[in-house]
Amino acid sequence: MSAVMKDAAPAKTLVSLRNLNKHYGDFAAVDNIDLEIQDGEFLTFLGSSGSGKSTTLSMLAGFETPSSGEILVEGQSLVKVPPHKRDIGMVFQRYSLFPHLSVRDNIAFPLAIRKQSAAETAKRVDAMLKLVQLEKFAHRRPAQLSGGQQQRVAIARALVYEPRILLMDEPLGALDKKLREDLQDELRQLHRRLGITIVYVTHDQEEAMRLSQRIAIFSHGKIVGLGTGYDLYQNPPNAFVASFLGNSNFLRVKASSNGAASFEGQSLAIRLTTGLNAGQDALIMVRPEKALALSAEQAAREPLPAGWNEVTAKVGEVLFLGESQTCHVMTAGGTEMTVKALSAAGMPMQPGDTVKVRWAVADACIYTEWAESDLSKAAGAH
Amino acid sequence: MLLTPNAMGRPLRTGLYLTTGVIAAFLLLPILFIVLLSFGSSQWLVFPPPGWTLKWYGQFFSNPEWMDAALASLKVAVLTTVCAVLLGLPTAFALVRGRFPGREMLYGLFTLPMIVPLVIIAVAVYALFLKLGYTGTLFSFVVSHVIVALPFTIISIINSLKLFDQSIEDAAVICGASRLQAIFKVTFPAIRPGMIAGGLFAFLVSWDEVVLSVMMASPTLQTLPVKMWTTLRQDLTPVIAVASTLLIGLSVLVMVIAAALRRRNEVSA
Repeated sequence: MSAVMKDAAPAKTLVSLRNLNKHYGDFAAVDNIDLEIQDGEFLTFLGSSGSGKSTTLSMLAGFETPSSGEILVEGQSLVKVPPHKRDIGMVFQRYSLFPHLSVRDNIAFPLAIRKQSAAETAKRVDAMLKLVQLEKFAHRRPAQLSGGQQQRVAIARALVYEPRILLMDEPLGALDKKLREDLQDELRQLHRRLGITIVYVTHDQEEAMRLSQRIAIFSHGKIVGLGTGYDLYQNPPNAFVASFLGNSNFLRVKASSNGAASFEGQSLAIRLTTGLNAGQDALIMVRPEKALALSAEQAAREPLPAGWNEVTAKVGEVLFLGESQTCHVMTAGGTEMTVKALSAAGMPMQPGDTVKVRWAVADACIYTEWAESDLSKAAGAH
Repeated sequence: MLLTPNAMGRPLRTGLYLTTGVIAAFLLLPILFIVLLSFGSSQWLVFPPPGWTLKWYGQFFSNPEWMDAALASLKVAVLTTVCAVLLGLPTAFALVRGRFPGREMLYGLFTLPMIVPLVIIAVAVYALFLKLGYTGTLFSFVVSHVIVALPFTIISIINSLKLFDQSIEDAAVICGASRLQAIFKVTFPAIRPGMIAGGLFAFLVSWDEVVLSVMMASPTLQTLPVKMWTTLRQDLTPVIAVASTLLIGLSVLVMVIAAALRRRNEVSA
């Protein structure tokens, strides 16, 4: 493969999933997925358990056969290719090292199967040991290594035969937080250095944000959001993604025109939204850190800037979390909101205080279609 | 646990040690007696022995009938072991990995010989081999022993296969090994302790089996327990104690090996 001009070339599709389905009886584990995976990207499948992300990865690896649909790698169908001929690397959640082989022999296994010469094998294994910084542990058995070291061996074993695609199925799930973050950094660097395409599965959204260039959010066997972590967070395509990713406040409103809506009898400005008709139910979504809470006096001192909304609410609970404070408030109509950004000059709020919650119209997303279950966290699994 | 030794009162603890000791003695003393008797100088199996001798060992090893029986026992036990492992391995895979209706029932069927009275199996197998004209052959010995040894082998292999994380085998496949290669290069080495333990169980079952063997035996082919049984009905020679001691000795050795393997397996798991 020629590396010339690779960086300058526009992103090229390496893997295409087309109308991919996996049914178990009546149950659709993967429901008509379409996805283009770019060459060299770090793509994460994010979703709760049972959302179809692992099944999709399994079909990519070849351990599951699609009920229908296509998996193409550079235009070639992969569906009928058995897993051992796919030349895909994979790292499993529980490391899955060969317990009876040393670290060196574990890493050499794919080369031994491919009948590489001893000299070539030794050279490549040495390079891999160096890459994952395990030279000193080459002769140990997997059981003699820590979890983090074992997972590095698994990564080396998956990379030694230079696959173009590396699949990772919650590879850091079994590790503790500190080690997980260290390995996340290592993984990101590894990806940058090798330019390999990585498809990563996790249910941990912070991990997804930290690692990936793009995230595909899975729910009920479908991809309900696809994009960079930034876009998905700032501009969630739907209410489910909004509530799944980070925290969110939802305000139920009735549209009075394309740019205004009524909320609990009060008129609010909303973003211009195509397809929104007067009289239609809609949802305003504001991130807690985009909403500002001001005491009544502060609000009186600081006039409402143009392009902002304001609602009155009562403070229920204030949580001090070190770098931030979280304030739970409730409007007269019973809508609960969480506000992170307390006005800088303000004293800490007290429960029972009346506050003005303000947000910029541009920071609030508008949804016209949603299911009630979308609005609660932890939805998404079957 | 509520009933840990430390949590109990002293009298209760002492009583428990005492009863455990009595039960252990009850189980082990006959074995100890027979071993001591094999070295006793009395030819009537008198206890305590009036003196000590190795005479009976000499008689055992110089008598071709006893040696033939011992050799036959060894041959049958080894063949039973090999067959039980070779049959048990694919059976265990099917019972653990298979997704087919009637899997649970099949498991029950394979372990049935552990529950069905041995005499019933013996009569059934005897009737079959009589009809086929196979009684008294090595083949009939091995087949009948495999029937009763197989459940132990299957259970042992199933247990280690259930403990084995199948994603390790999947890892070998994604690394480029075919499913069969992965099973031979990764899964078998990983479940080897279970396979060996299963084989040892099969060996033990065959080695001291007497009910089936009495049915299968012929004047020209009999195993050590059968030879003991027939000799016992004619006279009470201390050579029987020698044969018993050798039977016990090999059984204990096999059990020690099995225990050592189990421990090693637990440590590595």
